[in-house]
This record gives sequence, C-alpha cells and structure tokens, in this order.
Amino acid sequence: MAKTIVQEFTKGLWDEIPPFRLVLGLCPVLAVTKTLGNGVGMGVAATFVLLCSNILVSALRSVIPGKVRVPCFIIIIATFVVVVELVMQAVAYPLFLQLGIFIPLIVVNCIILGRAEAFAFKNGVAAAAADGLGIGAGFTISLAALGALREILGSGTLSIPFSDSVIQMFGPDFQPFSFMIEAPGAFVCLGLMLGVMNLAGK
Amino acid sequence: MGDYVLLAISAILVNNILLIQYLGNCPFLGTSKKMDTAVGMAMAVVFVLAMAGIVTWVLEVVFLKPLGLEYMRTIVFILVIAALVQFVEIFLKKSMPALYAGLGIFLPLITTNCAVMGVCLINIKEEYNFVEMLVSSIAYPAGFGLALILFAGLRERIIIGRVPKPMEDTAIALVTAGFMSLAFIGFNGMI
Amino acid sequence: MRDIIRMIVVLAVLAACSGGLLAAVKSGTAAKIEVQQLTFVKGPAIQEILKGCTNNPIEDRFKLKVGDEEKTFFVGKFDNTPPAVVYETFGKGFAGDVGIMVGVNIETDKLIGIGITTHSETPGLGARAKTDRGFKESFQGLSIKDAIKVNKDGGNVDSISGATVTSRGVCTGITGSSDMYQELKPKIMENVKAFGS
Repeated sequence: MAKTIVQEFTKGLWDEIPPFRLVLGLCPVLAVTKTLGNGVGMGVAATFVLLCSNILVSALRSVIPGKVRVPCFIIIIATFVVVVELVMQAVAYPLFLQLGIFIPLIVVNCIILGRAEAFAFKNGVAAAAADGLGIGAGFTISLAALGALREILGSGTLSIPFSDSVIQMFGPDFQPFSFMIEAPGAFVCLGLMLGVMNLAGK
Repeated sequence: MGDYVLLAISAILVNNILLIQYLGNCPFLGTSKKMDTAVGMAMAVVFVLAMAGIVTWVLEVVFLKPLGLEYMRTIVFILVIAALVQFVEIFLKKSMPALYAGLGIFLPLITTNCAVMGVCLINIKEEYNFVEMLVSSIAYPAGFGLALILFAGLRERIIIGRVPKPMEDTAIALVTAGFMSLAFIGFNGMI
Repeated sequence: MRDIIRMIVVLAVLAACSGGLLAAVKSGTAAKIEVQQLTFVKGPAIQEILKGCTNNPIEDRFKLKVGDEEKTFFVGKFDNTPPAVVYETFGKGFAGDVGIMVGVNIETDKLIGIGITTHSETPGLGARAKTDRGFKESFQGLSIKDAIKVNKDGGNVDSISGATVTSRGVCTGITGSSDMYQELKPKIMENVKAFGS
C-alpha cells in the first residue's frame, strides 16, 4: 500500500532518522557538532542539497539510463553542493570558515546518494520531495541535539543558530568538560545517544 | 627530509584521519566487524587514495587554478574519484584477478568514502607541494588502515562479551571508537 | 548502440546544465563573496589600522593594476587628519609568506599603522607579529619612501624577541611595496578624491 506524502515526511523524523536509524553520513555528524550553531548550519545545508537532488532525480528518473544513474546522481548532487558552498560564502562567511572542508564533503555524504538511489529514483516527485525534507529535517534535529549537548557540557555555552549571540549556561565557576569538544567526546556522545534511542524505540 | 617524516607521522598518528579528523567513518563502522573485511577495505583505500591524490592535485594545479575555476573543485574531484574507482575496478578484474577477489567488493564503496575526497581537499587547502602531497596521500590512508585494523580487532572481542541490549552493535562500537580516539589524542605531544 | 548514445547524451546534457547553473550562481554571488572575505579575513587588520575613520573602508575600495595583477586599496577618511589608504603586501617569513596590511597617510607618505593578515609562523614566536602591539606601533610615523629596518639592522622597528626572521620579513615586505606605491601615487590620489574627501 502506498504511503501518503505526510507519512513519507514523518518517517524521517523518527522511524528512519539519520544517523541513528540509518547509520549513514556520520562524518559531518561527528565533526561539526562542537556547537549548536554549526550543527544546525550543516543540517540546513545538507537538507537543501538532499531536497533539491531528490526532486531532480525523481523528475528525471524516466530519462536517466539505469547504467549511468550513479554518475548522473553524482553530477546532480555535486552541483547543488557547489551552489550551497557559494551561497554560504556570500551570506554566512564565518559559518563557512567553521565548517571548512565538510561543506564540499556533503557531496560524499552517503545519506544523499543513498536516498537518490533507494527512494527518489523509484518514486514520484512529491513523495521524493517529502522524503528529502523529512530525512533532512531528521538529520538537522540529530545534529542540533548532539551539537547542543556537546556545547553545553564542553564549553558551557549555547550558540544561537544563524546569529553571533552566545548564551552562557553556567556561572563563572563552571569548569568546561573539554573532553566533549574533542574528537573522543563526539564518538562517545553519539554512541550513548544511539543507545538511548534504542532503549526508547522498544 | 625531516619535514616529510614529520608530516607522515602527523598524518598517521597525530591527525589520524578517522579518529581525529572524523573522515571516513561510514566504512569505519561498516567494515570493521571482521578482520578480513577491515584489511580489504584498508588496502583498497590506500590504493585508490594514492592515485586520487596525484590526479586531483595535478588537475587543480594545471587546470582549475590557472583558469580561476576553483569553485568547480568539488564537482571535478568527485567525478574524477568516481571515474578512477571504476577504472581501477575494470583494470584489476582483467589483469590482477587475485587482488580483485580481495578488494573487489570494497571498491564501489570508496566513491562515497569521504576520507578519499577529504584528503584530496586537504592537499589543496594546505597548499602542499608535489612531494608533500605524495607523503600525505600515502600517510593519511595508512593511518586509516591502522585505525581500522586495530578497531576490527577490538570489535571481534566485543562481540564475545556481554553488552547491554540497547548498546549492542553500532552504539558500543561508537563508544569504543571514542576511547580509541582518546588514546590517539595522546600522540598530540609528539610533534 | 542506441543505449550508449543515449547515455552519453544524458550525461553531456546534465554536465552542461550543471556547468551553466554554477557559472550563473558564481557570477551572481562573486561580489558578495568578495565583500564577505574582505570583512572577515582582512577586515580586522584594516579596521585596526584605520581606527577612528569616519567611513567604511571595506566599501570604499578601489583596484589598480600592478603589472599583471590587480591590487585592492582601502580608503580611510578622518575628521581632522588627511585620508589614508591601506593595501596588502607580502613578506618572506620564517615559514612562507606573511600577509601585511600597510596603512599610509597619502599626504605625508608616512605609515599610520600595519597589521598581519595571513601567516604560518611559529605560534608563540613569529606568530606574535599579529598581536604584538609594540612591534606594530613601532612602524607608525616611518616614511614609506625610506628603507624600513629592524633595530638590529640599524632601523627603528623593535623586532619581536625570538622572531627576527619574521620581523625582518615584515620590514622588507613593506619596503618592497614602496616603489609600487610611489609609482601609483597619482592614481591613488585620484581615486581617493573620487570617494569625496
């Protein structure tokens, strides 16, 4: 039975939320979640690419020959990644500097290629758009949650996405738990969150 | 010469691509359940990255930079890597079937391995010269292989142990990777 | 055969569309990206040199041809003192090039200040060139027409302790831009006037 558009959207928020349920696209999840602001910035950038590539792949699915579909997907995805790169430089340069090479690396994010191959190439435009938006939103929520957790514990602050303001969470006596900001904190934190998700999912 | 040794040590240990730079984590978790697959993946990455590093660096220096097309870097690099992986696959299948049997199934996965693309981008961003680029393109995947194989060894042990149900598989693997990463941070003082 | 032709056509059309779209986005964002880069990468050094200026130097900028390259000049206007221009030049540091922002009073040709933009010097030693106030302030009032030297070489610049190579590199970098500045002086005056000062 065909799922409705709403179901295609909401599945990305819990049932198939990346990177917890779909263990894909881990690198940016680990790398850019030092702060809430960076996490959300990356989430929005990836969602834009995912939405655009899903729509285009779905619209062109009868034109693209099966044998060269992967190179076609890559061209489509890479084009939107470069668009994001340029637009981010023009409107949010400090964020662009923070995210560094992880912006061009959206192109090899397996979530995006995975959705193109597994979903968009087989479904209609509306369903593909809903899927892209849902998975993208789920990805952004995960990045935001991990970013907020690491930032609060690791530096005692919370940066507001898309602005320069930073909230101090604790008094001046707070000793930042800098393990959380470093690489090991990212792995451990993500692992524990995944454990909690598994516990809640049952 | 000393600089190159330093660069190599830094790339393998201090800035380990998997555990410190967070690149290439999907295959890190995906292929580390068994030692055999980990070794296969590590070899395939070293093989492809050494070539991809050279090709992308030459393209950047000879074409993109002089023509002012740096903004096309992302799209050019990913297409080059995808084409290179295909080419390597065909070449190995025809001329070295034994090696192909070992690496074959890992090759298509490498296109979306961000370690490959990541190192190519690092080579450009750090403005390495040709020799530095060669050292980095070999040392980074060597670090990838080292971390992957060590991690596979740990995971084979973990499977035998009793892990709480919700933490099974990926969750415990991530926590383990975190502690390995902590160990690698210890190399920080070396340079 | 028809399949292969179709594949090639689809790939070629896709690549062409992608190239076209990107070229359009690139040209649409180029001006904004330049301003952003200037604001966040070179901006801090420029603002520091032109402290107290009454205009926005990032917006009041002009380009002049130097050989094959274009050099950007930023204009700073002041209430009581004559205007100044700021431009970037490069000197050889301990580990590669050091980017130096040079601010010159265009009436007296004297330096009003300098700042470091990009460098890869050793942290704690050469890297202090970017933050060391005494070092940067010792350039103030020197004439761009003279050779600028550190005090060890008989000049007036207080070199950073433990980083003579970097200090010298900054001095020779500024001295090296002297000819260019003097040659372009008439054009610089013209352009600064155009900004209404």
